[in-house]
Amino acid sequence: MWGQYSYGLLVVMVAAIVAFFALAREYDDFHKFLLLDLIEIPSLGVIALLGTDLAEALVLPGLTVGIAEQLALSQIYCVKEGIKERPVSRLNIEVVAIGDAPLIISIFLVVYGILLSGFTGGGVAGLGLVYFFASRGYKENLNMLEMASGISWALWIFAFFCFMFLPDYWFIALMCAAVGIVLKVTVKMSLVGTMWGQNRE
Amino acid sequence: MSDPIGGIPYFILEFGDELVYFTPYTITLFLLALTFTILVIISRPERQMDIAFGGDAYRTKEISLAEMRFRRFMAIACGLASMGAMVTGDIFNFTLFTAMVGITNVGIVAAVKSPHVQDAAFQYGLVALCATVPLFGGAAIYAATTGSLSMIELMKGTIPSVPLIAKALLVIGVVGEGMAPFYAAKAEMFRAPGAPYVIMCSLSSLLIFLRVIEVILLG
Repeated sequence: MWGQYSYGLLVVMVAAIVAFFALAREYDDFHKFLLLDLIEIPSLGVIALLGTDLAEALVLPGLTVGIAEQLALSQIYCVKEGIKERPVSRLNIEVVAIGDAPLIISIFLVVYGILLSGFTGGGVAGLGLVYFFASRGYKENLNMLEMASGISWALWIFAFFCFMFLPDYWFIALMCAAVGIVLKVTVKMSLVGTMWGQNRE
Repeated sequence: MSDPIGGIPYFILEFGDELVYFTPYTITLFLLALTFTILVIISRPERQMDIAFGGDAYRTKEISLAEMRFRRFMAIACGLASMGAMVTGDIFNFTLFTAMVGITNVGIVAAVKSPHVQDAAFQYGLVALCATVPLFGGAAIYAATTGSLSMIELMKGTIPSVPLIAKALLVIGVVGEGMAPFYAAKAEMFRAPGAPYVIMCSLSSLLIFLRVIEVILLG
């Protein structure tokens, strides 16, 4: 066990050193910022190497902190470089043409996410929706999604109350919590980036 | 319990995953953070003034109210994060609070609309983001080798000792987040106007550095 862990640690450390070396050679601010995203991954790798339930509980805050720092830095970068109001309607990549492919990939991701359920499933399903919206140039009001988010939150809270006060009905509570978190994370992920600075009615 | 570095804990609160304890050492640091947070809340910000040498000319820098509000919010958040880092008894919570100190330090100066301050804040943010790698890595190796993240367990001395590499990574992480002994690296950030708020940058990094010394001497 210790041997496997040591080898895993070695691989992650080598990955981190390669990433830091790339960062040291880079002089452009924007590329440095992109490389930092890469550097975050070894740190999550070190935590994930624990291989226990604790690791999963520690990866999530680690990931959240990393994303929070990156969002903050990207805002500073935009202000620093004077980048304002550049409307992005959809991903301008040739591969992502308005066709069937994004739809099929999104449906696959959403179905797979729902099968996984829980936090991970929500993440996968949300990624599918993000991909779909990004490729289609989604422009509609998001009240529906916000409502779904609220309902799933209520479901989750209900499940927790059930766990605390009616422990006999733990199975119902478990199912409610799983469905609630799947909806919640899916909706949250699909709203990422779409609600910033837009004038909504 | 062997003799801990910061003194015998007066008070230990274990509530689920949360673990908080006060020793004479940490309670001093906690009170310092609390005092400065209260000072930030009640004090009025300074106005910076440029004076031309060899003449009577001077001008006051105009700072908008919205900017000051944002910076006060960030300074208070920074104070709360440093208070959390002072009293927590859990290695991973300590690293999370430290990362939060790093983010809020960047936030305190990021609202300033001066290009060189923005640039300094961005570069400092890059370093803080890099530092999360050794920080979380160190905490994870703590958990892997000792099987516990609790500082109280580490104090007892009954669990395997922590390897030097984990301690080194933790210190490097804290140094990166707060730039604690290298204040010169933050000099450009201190040129930002707004006296009580900028002080929070250096105070919080000093406090987390003092706390990490206690943490690495525990296990």
